[in-house]
Amino acid sequence: MKSINLKGNQFIQFHQKISFKFDGVKYFGYKGDTIASALLRNNINLVGRSFKYHRPRGIYTCGIEEPNALVQIISEYSEPNTRATIKKIYEGMEIESQNRWPSLENDFGSINNLFSPIFTAGFYYKTFMGPHKKFWKNLYEPLIRRAAGLGKPPKDFKGISNHIHHNVDITIIGGGLNGLLAAKSFINSNYDVLLIDFEEQLGGIINNSNKISSIDNKEPKDWLKETIQEIEDSKNIKILKNTLVTTYNYINHLIAIEDRFVGSKPIEGKVNSTLHKIRTGHTILCNGHIERFLSFQNNDLPGIMLSSSFEKYMCRYGLAPSKEPVIFSNNSNSNSLVYGLIKAGLKPKAYIDSRSGEEIEPNLFDLIRKNDVPLYTNSQIKGAFGNKKIEKILVEDSSGALNEIKCDCLCLSGGINPDVHLFTQSKGLLDWDEKDLTYKPSKPFQPTITLGSASGQFNFDNLNSDINEKLKTFKVKKLDVKLELNTNTKYNIEKLWEVSPQKKSLWAKSFIDLQNDVTTKDIRQAITEGFDRIEHLKRYTTNSMGTDQGKISSINALGIVSDLLDKKVNEVGTTIYRPPYAPLSFSAIAGRNCYEFYDPERKSPIHSWHLKNGAIFEDVGQWKRPWYFQINKDESMHDAVQRESKNVRENAGILDGSTLGKIEIKGEDALEFMNLIYTNSFTKMKQGSARYALMLGEDGMVKDDGIICKISDQHFIATTTTGGAATVLGCMEEYAQTEWPNLKVFMNSITEQYATFNISGPKTREIMKKAFPNINFSNEEFPFMTFQFHEFNDIPIRILRASFTGELGYEIYIPSNSAPKIWDNIQSVGKEFGLAPYGTEAMHLLRAEKGYIIVGQDTDGSITPIDLGLSWMIGKSKKDFLGKRSLARSDTIREDRKQLVGIIPSNKADKLEEGQHIILDREIKSPVPMLGHITSCYYSSTLGHDFALAVIKNGHSMIGTKAYASTSSMSTTGVDIVKPVFYDEDNKRLVS
Amino acid sequence: MLIINCPYCGPRDQSEFSNGGEAHVKRPDGSKEIGDREWGEYVFIRANPKGLFYERWVHTHGCRKWFNCVRDTSTDEILVTYKLDEKKPNLNNFKSVVKTPSGEPEVGSGNFTVEK
Ligand SMILES: [Zn+2]
Repeated sequence: MKSINLKGNQFIQFHQKISFKFDGVKYFGYKGDTIASALLRNNINLVGRSFKYHRPRGIYTCGIEEPNALVQIISEYSEPNTRATIKKIYEGMEIESQNRWPSLENDFGSINNLFSPIFTAGFYYKTFMGPHKKFWKNLYEPLIRRAAGLGKPPKDFKGISNHIHHNVDITIIGGGLNGLLAAKSFINSNYDVLLIDFEEQLGGIINNSNKISSIDNKEPKDWLKETIQEIEDSKNIKILKNTLVTTYNYINHLIAIEDRFVGSKPIEGKVNSTLHKIRTGHTILCNGHIERFLSFQNNDLPGIMLSSSFEKYMCRYGLAPSKEPVIFSNNSNSNSLVYGLIKAGLKPKAYIDSRSGEEIEPNLFDLIRKNDVPLYTNSQIKGAFGNKKIEKILVEDSSGALNEIKCDCLCLSGGINPDVHLFTQSKGLLDWDEKDLTYKPSKPFQPTITLGSASGQFNFDNLNSDINEKLKTFKVKKLDVKLELNTNTKYNIEKLWEVSPQKKSLWAKSFIDLQNDVTTKDIRQAITEGFDRIEHLKRYTTNSMGTDQGKISSINALGIVSDLLDKKVNEVGTTIYRPPYAPLSFSAIAGRNCYEFYDPERKSPIHSWHLKNGAIFEDVGQWKRPWYFQINKDESMHDAVQRESKNVRENAGILDGSTLGKIEIKGEDALEFMNLIYTNSFTKMKQGSARYALMLGEDGMVKDDGIICKISDQHFIATTTTGGAATVLGCMEEYAQTEWPNLKVFMNSITEQYATFNISGPKTREIMKKAFPNINFSNEEFPFMTFQFHEFNDIPIRILRASFTGELGYEIYIPSNSAPKIWDNIQSVGKEFGLAPYGTEAMHLLRAEKGYIIVGQDTDGSITPIDLGLSWMIGKSKKDFLGKRSLARSDTIREDRKQLVGIIPSNKADKLEEGQHIILDREIKSPVPMLGHITSCYYSSTLGHDFALAVIKNGHSMIGTKAYASTSSMSTTGVDIVKPVFYDEDNKRLVS
Repeated sequence: MLIINCPYCGPRDQSEFSNGGEAHVKRPDGSKEIGDREWGEYVFIRANPKGLFYERWVHTHGCRKWFNCVRDTSTDEILVTYKLDEKKPNLNNFKSVVKTPSGEPEVGSGNFTVEK
């Protein structure tokens, strides 16, 4: 295909050369070129290999509907599947073709084309589901994985995009003729208007075709300039260019993506795209139409292009892809291309129309005759032929004779469709127009207005009245625009979806979906196999399921199906159009909510101390908690955890427990409320005492646990698990508002207001005495499970005597701002007693030795307090609390429920693994009846062997018996089922 | 995304709210004997109609208040929101309720884009 530059184009700067690389070879284009227009300028039309058969493919269109020309942008983190027809070139851009090996010209995968008779409709389903499963696994899957597909995933991509919200009265989508006229009506009105266009220059059809000769007696481009200026000057209208509306949601909520680096390389660290989230009162769709192609043998050859796309290359990019294209049409839309070619001093090689001479517009007839263009009426193209490019076509003329025409380019037009994608996303209804042979918007579901060709108005005669009528609900000026056309014709089309092949062959291909390599034969086969519902057919054949969603072909498929089924197209229906309109990158959707901003990181007030002291952190919900502390770089996690836990058992350890959820509950009825929320009874509890408490769901399952401090009957402080804080507060608020609104009670989170230090170990009392010399820590003055308020250096503190390790322990609650000071003080006075910090892992080990559960680890939402052996925590005298009645459900009183037990290996040297099953048989013979599984498992240096907590069926009555634990190496380990307490069973150390 | 009219704060984006399931489900009085069936239905059974539905929402990232609404589950249209202590509106007051997204039948898959 030999292209020619058409000078005098306003959008291409011919004085500004730009160099870029395609498959490693350097080429030149001009400022304003897309990859496609630049490649065509260099006479390159082979740009990729097809999805399944690896057939050579070229540039088929000049816009977003492109099915073939998808490329990988190496210079932008190797961004794949970029439409060459949209992406603008810039200096130094590197582009690669996709889906070919070793090169585009000599592609090994094109051998698939030879095997193509086996890759028919439903190929994947049949080989996957049918009797040939082995073929799938051993042959097809590895083969297909290598051979089928589009681009490769991007590398090291760290795109930045931001989100902008808009709240407007009117959003006009599409800045073409109708969009501009609609915007013009709203100039200086009282409406906030957003005008969105996908291109850098507004104008649509005025820029892209030769159709319009004058507007208001002005040159179209002059009128355009003036009108855009007026709109830009209007204070109530905002224009978003380079912005594509991808999504039309419920309640007029639109999503649009703006490319911030059109025609230049995105700068690293700068926002490269903006996602606009628009809430609008009304949406005016002026997003135009899309031309369809036609199916005939080899309709995918490079050199074949839609006729309106050819025209757009001429008008918009100053480029005629070929000097003498052949035009094949069944409608009047390509008339303006004939006009444009002749105006540019070029001549179509031939004009072929399936319509008869009488149906073809007289002015087109005259133009063709006057310029001696070979004309074939009542004719069809039987096939296109050539090696990697179109070389000739076969035309069956009205007499039935076959004519061979040599050509390097074929322009196709199968008619036009309103771009109904957004309209149907908005849930609007479509109606089939039997005359124009297309679906057109009919009933909107939302406040949606369609104008121009987007509404199915393919002629311009009612331009003013249509806009004025549809905008009459708004207080705007009436339009009276005078429009003159170059090819004064009414839209006329003859039905033609597919040309029957000249000769039938297994390898002859007439495509219906270029991107997904679906042929018209696949459609026939699918229907023969019974997939005659359009939604089934789509999935079975993968028709219109590519990244282009069959924009140029899906209506043709409906036409073919309706003919095959002998039904009206309206009865066949359409598949549902789903957002997005065009692919949208994940980075745009994520916006700034990625990497460090994906989820807030919460840090305790002591965090910087941890950093300085070798803490290795773990994520607990959003919190960063020290997992363990490394005393030197070589210390392994196992060694650190054993050292920390041993130190707690022998001396004393300190844990930063600031992340624990803390909720303050106050009010006249606080006591009653707490009795309803938790299983325990707080009525007889003394002021200044604390209690370990459980919270259930209404289904009776353990949801959270914590320690409740009773300051008075009107004032409580509850702790929750680190991860459960928000849920517990939410649950309390819900019940306070919805079930017991009569109770006078308020609750608030004080998690971040107070830091918490847990100090425990036999030497703790000595350390506390030294750190807080004014406080009496004796057993009599400060018994287990009590708390006291004190002031220390003017800092109000609360000390609770409680323990999660089984050793003597205290929890100190300090206002967060003062916490680091007190932490440092405790560190320095504790040194002589061997005080050392410990992390969450040692804490887990210590609590497990003591048999204390962790909600969410040893429970999973299917465990009741009775299953845990915690029946003593249920306030049996209480009439009601969350989930109480459920503890008497037939399911919760079953005897074979999974219950918490302890597990130790029968041979103490054996290892146990978390998550492994407990089974009865030594040998694993499937099916294996499973009793339950190990929920927590550690090595204890105190015990000198592994131990575990597990939930197993009927566990409580199995204590004292033997079983087996499975291992990750598919064998078993003999275990003893024991009580879930491994250390200080009678709590001597706790209350010492 | 829906716009939900919080009875306390006014119209806000859906992302500020959390759904709380069916509204006007009474928690059985714990001070009395509760039968297995009554309790089971309270804990596990909720209506799931296509059409008008009394529903609870909470303004999680706002005033944190719970409130009720009537939502058409077939169109997602929220017809009214009201405070917990307000009387529940009579569903007969809402006209032409099944305006399903694409005019599809009241019962069915919803995969009919074309009105019959
Ligand atoms: Zn609110």
